[in-house]
Amino acid sequence: MNNVVAMVLAGGRVDELLALTEKRPKAALPVFATYRIIDFVLSNMMHSGLWNVGVLSQFRPYSLMRHIGTGAHWDFIGRQRGVRILPPYQGFKESDWYKGTADAVYQNLSYIDEFGPEHVLIAAGDHIYRMDYQQLMDFHIDRKADLTICFTRVKEKSSWFGYGIIDKNGSVKGYQEKPKEPRSAWASMTVYMFRKGFLADVLKDNTRASSHEFGRDIIPKVLSGSRVFGFEFTDFWAYARTIDSYYETNQILLRRAIDLKKWQIRTNTAEGCGGGDHMPAHIDGRVSNSVISEGCVVQGDVINSILSPGVLVGPGAVVTDSIVFHDSKIGPNSKLTKVICDKYCTVEKNVDIGNYGKSIASQEFGRLLNSGITVLGRGCRILPGTKIGANTVVYSSAKVDAAEIPAGSVLR
Amino acid sequence: MKKQSVAMLLAGGVGTRLGILARKRAKPAIPFGGIYRIIDFTMSNVSRSGIEVVGVLTQYKPLSLMEHIDNGHPWDLFGRTRLVEILPPKTGEDISDWYKGTSDAVYQNLAFIDDFSPELVLIVSGDHIYHMDYRDLYDFHEEKRSDVTVGLIRVPIEQAHQFGTAICDRNMQVVNWEEKPAQPRSNLVSMGIYLFNKKLLDRTLHESARKNGVDFARHIIPLLQKKSRVFGYEFKGYWRDVGTIDAYWNANMDIIRPGSGLDLRNWGIKTNLWVKGEIGDRPAAYFNPGAVVKNSLVSRDCIIKGTVTNSILSPGVVIGRGSVVEDSVIFHDVVIGKNCVIKQAIVDKNVTFGDSIRIGEGELVPNRKTPEQLSGGISVIGKGTRIGSQITIGKSCIIGPDNVITSKKFKAIRSGTTI
Repeated sequence: MNNVVAMVLAGGRVDELLALTEKRPKAALPVFATYRIIDFVLSNMMHSGLWNVGVLSQFRPYSLMRHIGTGAHWDFIGRQRGVRILPPYQGFKESDWYKGTADAVYQNLSYIDEFGPEHVLIAAGDHIYRMDYQQLMDFHIDRKADLTICFTRVKEKSSWFGYGIIDKNGSVKGYQEKPKEPRSAWASMTVYMFRKGFLADVLKDNTRASSHEFGRDIIPKVLSGSRVFGFEFTDFWAYARTIDSYYETNQILLRRAIDLKKWQIRTNTAEGCGGGDHMPAHIDGRVSNSVISEGCVVQGDVINSILSPGVLVGPGAVVTDSIVFHDSKIGPNSKLTKVICDKYCTVEKNVDIGNYGKSIASQEFGRLLNSGITVLGRGCRILPGTKIGANTVVYSSAKVDAAEIPAGSVLR
Repeated sequence: MKKQSVAMLLAGGVGTRLGILARKRAKPAIPFGGIYRIIDFTMSNVSRSGIEVVGVLTQYKPLSLMEHIDNGHPWDLFGRTRLVEILPPKTGEDISDWYKGTSDAVYQNLAFIDDFSPELVLIVSGDHIYHMDYRDLYDFHEEKRSDVTVGLIRVPIEQAHQFGTAICDRNMQVVNWEEKPAQPRSNLVSMGIYLFNKKLLDRTLHESARKNGVDFARHIIPLLQKKSRVFGYEFKGYWRDVGTIDAYWNANMDIIRPGSGLDLRNWGIKTNLWVKGEIGDRPAAYFNPGAVVKNSLVSRDCIIKGTVTNSILSPGVVIGRGSVVEDSVIFHDVVIGKNCVIKQAIVDKNVTFGDSIRIGEGELVPNRKTPEQLSGGISVIGKGTRIGSQITIGKSCIIGPDNVITSKKFKAIRSGTTI
């Protein structure tokens, strides 16, 4: 696919994931113990033979930059290949923060032009799926499309998606962005194959508009008068738009519903290994239906949980139905129930999180946090003996020293 | 490093006494501790001590070693002034031939060393398990105004006959040197680490070459000890020469034996996680409901359905339901079926087991063919061997690589058997 340049939309700030995306874009969110969400789209591009990738990023891009590094982990190093983070920049005339997904691509049209491609693949960096974009390309060429949008059939029609109405020939006849009442079950995967000339034209047109999003502003506008087709993707696809969906997506790994090894998802294995490589997990406790990464030391019980590299679980500790990110420490005799614990947290001894008192929805984020999940932000510290009820959010670096925190609290 | 220094890493060892583990790879390339290879310890020591130029002398089956060392990036030895170079035997110069010994290998590569004009040359062996900051050795060397400083360690006197032994005066000057003596007079033995003043090294290697001297321990050190200032630096830490199957197994067990002194977590040993994507593309380990794991190391991509006790599993090991693995070292991608009982085994890469196999049962006898390699009861299964179902294998057995063991041919393999 040497006539295609790929652009990954990885920059946006999202609030729905609360403390998990407080300091990182969603694409950089850890998933399935050892990966970050962006690994899926980058691996897909690599396996599809797309060798020039631009990553559009503006919200706290450090973790993403460190993760992508030289791109070597996805084989993006070579004379004809490369992956580049494209942050906002100042130019002679137009310069500004990215005002939306379409604006981000618009501001980088000159980057795209350097490669002289005929088509541009634009894909969100925050979805979990395995796809050969070559099939999409074949479809796109076959229909002589100006734009081909990938759709996946969703069971639950939620207002989180854009929906396409596709006719027998694959032509997109209608599109609704985040509707209250979807008229179709086919949700946009935010994967677009554009004819390059067409993309440049519609983006230039869009500069005069007040809003600059592909889903909201570009697609509805180009449906009439252009060749817009829908590619129906029928394999596994998952997302993480809310805490609940992020949690559910991780559970897929414990149900063994996807085979990451077969998918050959690549990640940056060296990241965070500056002082030496993580040794294999040292396990001396009860582990059941769990995924445990290298560098973990487990002396307590781990049940239905996922541990990223370097997590310590002390003697007598019980981690149940939880997801614990890199290098967090769970002290002796502490209990975690349905907790998502970000990196570098310290839960000291005799702490009880997620199972204290009555479970009531979050006071501040009731719509987003009501199913009993507790979120600990990056680097927070929970002092000995603390009890924290479900649906609580602790923001990053907070030190929790109150002895009893009722369910539904927000701690900053 | 205060003075410009080059390290020469001896990695050509055949590792005869490691038997089938070294059949297809050089001793430094033998896997260790789940994800490492033996050479990672020396490579990490060198890199951590601030030495920036490393020559790796290879000769015996160097392929897996070369892949592993790659361009040196895992040890941060990749940059404008930092490098690792693999130095195999070569032709085309006056002194060019197969390496006839450790000092001959360095002799044939003096030109490599000269390129960097070092004042000091560190010669280290790539097949030991230890964690050492060589800067202490350099300080000692300078303080004693030494010509050659030899790294020494105390071992139980009954093991000293396996090593070069040093007799030192109170000032730690080496006054006598005995290579593998039948009756050792000292328990201070050589770690295979030599720090040389470059000029002396040049002179000595040329002189020694004329007299057919090819080995540091047998020829060079005895020669120098009589006429130069040779000092012994006593290293007080964990150090193992994993020269036999028993020693290799024991050193692996030391990782999970509390208080053994081998502390992988704090040593910060670096390895190459990339070779053939062996670890890079593997997901984290999965533990089924019903898995029982006690004091064991479990690497990426393992799937544990049975019981694992006091064992070390490399990436990709699958342990079936009802199976028990105890006191064993299992290499990459070994698949163990259901209801097996595997005790005290070292299983090389890509071995597959059927169901209901038992290893490590029966009387404790040394291996009959190679008792010097294997007497402690550990059984070794070679790379790529396939073992059918319902087979019992005794203690101290060696099953060579790429065998197919079916229950038609073998029902029970007695202790001490070699196949």
